[in-house]
Amino acid sequence: MTRTALFSVPVLVGLLALAFGWHIAVGAKFVPPATVIEALFSTDRTNFNHVVVTDLRLPRAVYAIVVGAALAVAGALMQGITRNPLAEPGVLGLLAGASFAVVMAVGYFRVVDASYVPALAAAGAAGTAALVWAVASVAPGGSTPLTLILAGAAITGLLGALIALTHLLDQESFDTMRVWLTGTLAGRSSDALKWSLPWLAGGLVLALLMAPQVTAMAMGDEAAVGLGVDIARVKALAMTAVIALTAGAVAIAGPMGFVGLVIPHVARLVVGADYRAIIPVSALLGATYLLIVDIAARLVMAPTEISTGIVTALLGAPFFVWLVRARL
Amino acid sequence: MSVVVLSARGGQISFRLHQRAVIASTFLVALLMAIGMASLMSGSYPLSMAEVWATLKGHPPADTAATVIWQFRFPRTLVSAMAGALFGLSGAILQYVTRNPLADPSLVGVSQGASLAVVAAIVVFPDINLVWRPVLAFGGALLVAALIQSIAMQRTGGTTMRFILTGIGIAAFVSALTNAMLTYGDIDRAQSALGWLAGSIHAVGWPEVVTLALCLLTLGPVVVWSARYLAVLRLGPDISVGLGVPVRRARIAMITLSVGLAAFAVAAVGPLGFVGLVAPHLALRLACCGVGQHLLLTALTGAIMVSLADLVGRVAAAPVQIPAGILTAILGVPVFLALILKTQTSRQL
Repeated sequence: MTRTALFSVPVLVGLLALAFGWHIAVGAKFVPPATVIEALFSTDRTNFNHVVVTDLRLPRAVYAIVVGAALAVAGALMQGITRNPLAEPGVLGLLAGASFAVVMAVGYFRVVDASYVPALAAAGAAGTAALVWAVASVAPGGSTPLTLILAGAAITGLLGALIALTHLLDQESFDTMRVWLTGTLAGRSSDALKWSLPWLAGGLVLALLMAPQVTAMAMGDEAAVGLGVDIARVKALAMTAVIALTAGAVAIAGPMGFVGLVIPHVARLVVGADYRAIIPVSALLGATYLLIVDIAARLVMAPTEISTGIVTALLGAPFFVWLVRARL
Repeated sequence: MSVVVLSARGGQISFRLHQRAVIASTFLVALLMAIGMASLMSGSYPLSMAEVWATLKGHPPADTAATVIWQFRFPRTLVSAMAGALFGLSGAILQYVTRNPLADPSLVGVSQGASLAVVAAIVVFPDINLVWRPVLAFGGALLVAALIQSIAMQRTGGTTMRFILTGIGIAAFVSALTNAMLTYGDIDRAQSALGWLAGSIHAVGWPEVVTLALCLLTLGPVVVWSARYLAVLRLGPDISVGLGVPVRRARIAMITLSVGLAAFAVAAVGPLGFVGLVAPHLALRLACCGVGQHLLLTALTGAIMVSLADLVGRVAAAPVQIPAGILTAILGVPVFLALILKTQTSRQL
């Protein structure tokens, strides 16, 4: 690893800590930073400010960190193995697949146990990924970046229509899912986090293990074969990691688009082309990014708040357009 | 395959007609008529075929029948067929120009622009007259398409891949804005906007029929005229330049034409997805033929798709009306996947 990468990690951790503190301090009632630190390290249950911090704001900040890191790492891996600067769980339809599976299970089969949600999301994401890749690879011209992205957009459109149809036919049971479907960090239960953590941790470990091979693959399939990389195996394992990370993130916060698109590019600017550095740096940057986005979502139109997923799309989509202009 | 050549003025104007394509278009026209008839007959006030025929000829069996046919079902049937034809043509042109079989107006920002304009008007000016909705939708669609064009354009003319990808990015941005607007709008107004957003044909009347008919009459000949450029453009920029086509101008003109066709249709019936994606592929499987006849077959296929989606949506879950846009997406994508998975061999389109 380069020296920049080693130096950047403490800086990024510091930034993350700052964003974390800021996220907890602001809100309907401003809590002074000193009180935040006090509440985190020696909680006094009789102090109202401490209760606000530990019971309301701390969980939300943790969700933001976990979801941001997971989506950023998933995006980095996808960009690495497809060599497509625009690849991302949302653009290629994985988020839509995961949320479709969850909506159907909760709405139709009345699955209420939070422990099943990440598994359902993983199944949905895996199914969609397989479908998008199948369509893109047999489309005339092969799986070019353009065909992959169009296939992803088409599948996302289909799943959106199916969700709208079920919503139309059975309004009550789907009303509860509506806010979740725009991607939000508000009012999530800690159960969701508890059951998602194994998926997220597994995905992250797998991503770190695959990092050297992904670096080789980013140089092109032929170069990777020359370096002794088993391409099919690396692709399968990396996609497994992507699906686990996506599933965990969707189970917590719903589909939150474009986080995985923006962050890996920033990470590459900081540390270069080595995925052993890109993946941890993406995780740190993604967590920081989602904390800041969530602060904006809560503050811009206070006292009402915008869904965090809408804000990530509003920030990420112009970046996508810029990437198209700059890279293609 | 047998080919008939019609020529006039000593061969100055000539048409090559593939027999199979002629048979296919006759069949499609008959199918479209049958669906139209079924659509006129069915509903909460069922009519027999004889009654419908008598009403159309001006001798209604009852006043209610006349009202139901002339005020509700007939304009609705006409609008769904014409909007379908427009969506199909728009998609076919986009696929020819971009040389990508997955291009569709609803994926590249046209529909999303229309949606944003309508929703923004409803939220910002709650007292707005619904008469303005088609105008707003049209303006929004054109504005977003112009934005995409200007961003995707380069000194060298811009590749079509950039056009599509820019469109997808802008579409995501615009639909996020629409979502944000819907969250803060008055809930009843937002609900009425949602019905239109789902692509529903239930609220159309004669004004929409007139608009779409005028659009087909004016842009139809343009599409026929442009077939010769499309036939060259689909061979790729190098060959097109070699054959003497001004590639950059032709591309801009064709994409504008495609957007215009889709914008008219979206303004009338809301953002119906996937018709423009699937209709050209279905038409190609029906008969392998030249660009002109392919466009005709595509228009007919699109008309049948939307008419059928509207009819099924009206009848299947009555009294609940399933918006046609949801059905076109649900029926369209599996058909599309099946088509693409079946033909492993590389085709031109």
